[in-house]
Amino acid sequence: MSRKALCIAHLYPDLLNLYADRGNIAVLRRRLEWRGYEVEVARVTHSEVPDFSRYHLVLLGGGSDREQAIVAEKLRACAPAFRSAVQDGLPVLAICGGYQLLGEYYQLPSGEKVHGIGLVEMVTEASPDGPRLIGNIAVWSDEVGVIVGFENHGGRTRHGHRPLGRVVYGHGNDGVSGHEGLRHLNIWGTYVHGPLLPKNPALADAVLRDALAYAHLPDHLEPLDDRLEREARAAFVSLRMNEVAPMLKEEAGSP
Amino acid sequence: MLGIWIGKLVLWVLRLRGRDATSLPGKVALRISPGLIRRFGGKVKRVIAVTGTNGKTTTTALLASMVAEREPVVTNHKGANLAQGIATAFLRSCSWTGRLSADTAVLEIDEATLPAVAPDLPVAVIVVTNVFRDQLDRYGELDGTLAKLLEGIRKTQATLVLNGDDPLCRYLGLRSSRQTIYYGMARGTARSPRREQMRDGQFCLMCGRPLRYEGFWYGQLGLYQCEGCDFVRPHPAFQGELQGGFLRFSEEGLPDLLLDLPVSGLYNAYNVLAAASAARALGLTGDAIHGGLRAYQPPEGRMQRFDLEAPVTLHLIKNPTGCDSVLDTVVSDGRDKVLVIGVNDLAADGRDVSWLWDADFELLAEDPHLTAVVTTGFRAHDVALRLKYAGLAESRIRVQPDLEAALYEGLSHSSATGAAMHALVTYTLLHPAARWLSERRDEHEPQGALYRTSVS
Repeated sequence: MSRKALCIAHLYPDLLNLYADRGNIAVLRRRLEWRGYEVEVARVTHSEVPDFSRYHLVLLGGGSDREQAIVAEKLRACAPAFRSAVQDGLPVLAICGGYQLLGEYYQLPSGEKVHGIGLVEMVTEASPDGPRLIGNIAVWSDEVGVIVGFENHGGRTRHGHRPLGRVVYGHGNDGVSGHEGLRHLNIWGTYVHGPLLPKNPALADAVLRDALAYAHLPDHLEPLDDRLEREARAAFVSLRMNEVAPMLKEEAGSP
Repeated sequence: MLGIWIGKLVLWVLRLRGRDATSLPGKVALRISPGLIRRFGGKVKRVIAVTGTNGKTTTTALLASMVAEREPVVTNHKGANLAQGIATAFLRSCSWTGRLSADTAVLEIDEATLPAVAPDLPVAVIVVTNVFRDQLDRYGELDGTLAKLLEGIRKTQATLVLNGDDPLCRYLGLRSSRQTIYYGMARGTARSPRREQMRDGQFCLMCGRPLRYEGFWYGQLGLYQCEGCDFVRPHPAFQGELQGGFLRFSEEGLPDLLLDLPVSGLYNAYNVLAAASAARALGLTGDAIHGGLRAYQPPEGRMQRFDLEAPVTLHLIKNPTGCDSVLDTVVSDGRDKVLVIGVNDLAADGRDVSWLWDADFELLAEDPHLTAVVTTGFRAHDVALRLKYAGLAESRIRVQPDLEAALYEGLSHSSATGAAMHALVTYTLLHPAARWLSERRDEHEPQGALYRTSVS
């Protein structure tokens, strides 16, 4: 079955690849391929200029502070095109460092500000005295249920948009608000890596549905055999944050 | 003194119980005498510190074995590289009155521990094997690891022996203003990149511009040159060239040495090169280097072999680059094979198992000789999921979180099908796996007449 190819752009994989974003790409690609779609993954490296008219989904991953500053510069150079595509509904999955760069700035522990692209009303500040927010995390999202993974960030993020979900275990955006991530237009922003998508297939499919709709393709996704995914979620939760287990059950019980 | 007695006592009790203590005696002794490492540091003439991400344990053991050809040496065993492991190494070598018979210590030191212990020890040489991402939950980021290493180096006056093929090591050399000697592989032996792999440090640490590579050995180790400034792979003073099971070791003005490789794989060739380079820097002769290599016994999990119902090889995996080297070795084994892959997420393994997704498990999906994989450990399900998305058919993946049951299952499967078995496990599964495999080997040794029933 040959259908129109869906094009996923992995922005700056050579700079933003700190936390296994390759895993997120693999999940997006496979879950489309298993349903008969053709998939093209455009690896847009630092020396290329992204062509936002070609992409149906953009992935921005995590990077270290030093690499993030380089990416910020690259992104600012193409911000107008990026911004207008996102306004038109281009889905963006932004994780950790990539998430921070969607906002206005990221203030480093030294006080220096790395300016983002201001796609959303959001600021991130390092907490010079506070610890890095590290550990396993679970988030409740009304859209896709429980999202599980690992977080590891020094920055505290605040924004005026809807969060991706409510923290049920771990720290989230700033460690105090109880909010994790960001949802605005078709932007999915989050600190959850681990990587994000393998153990969260419902989230992967939600992002893919946005991408299909944006590509003017039918966005109905046939169900897949997610036995291993479900078992991996359940095993992880029961072993490392058992208090979240009832939520997984609740989620399974819902239609 | 009390610390030494108590530490020796703990060591002695553990030995009586047949346990090979690597950390506990030092831990107890340090609690009683926090200045213990400084005391021992005052008793030795020189310390050679081996640090870096991968290959510390093997390089330390190789170098200690070379030094031991000439004089007694204090060394820490089996990768116990935090303060307590270092204290245990000294306790092991000292008398009950705290006297040391050795003037030289060869110590593996964790990157984050180096700044803490460096001021207490007469560190004459620091060997840095490489800097890869490892346990990000502990160090934050790669930059944090580099900062720790620099901080440690600056607290000494040591001569540095660095891997010149690693741009991150080169950066340490340039930034630390210490006398620096580089080692590296022979120029003509680098390969062009075969697959898209995760690489650290692709950008110049001096100016931020991209690094251009003429060729790679593995990870980011290669022939690099910055596009923007004069940051470039230095010409190595000690050069290695792999020739079959040997490493040709050259130093200008001296005849080449043809060194045995007691452990195979390119990453181990780097360890032999690092150890031989440090030995040369210490003034050891070719005889001592050869002798040390011959006397070396590979420690647990560095391609340790067990002859059971099926031939079993045990490997340690702990970060993407190290794991890729192991996967390369496994895939290049042309026999039919069964894999047991065990991943734990305890503190010593790293709580974050993201790295599983950066390692090249796709290699396994392409291996026609791979018949089955059993995944085990606390994160057995995550490994299974990783393999599924790497393209392995689910029917070939079995999840068995219990280690012994998984090893048993892998072994039964491989012996039934005449296949070899490879076990790839993270740190906290290594000793239990090695123990189970050795016990099983002992049980299966031919028992002679004992088991023969009477037929007369």
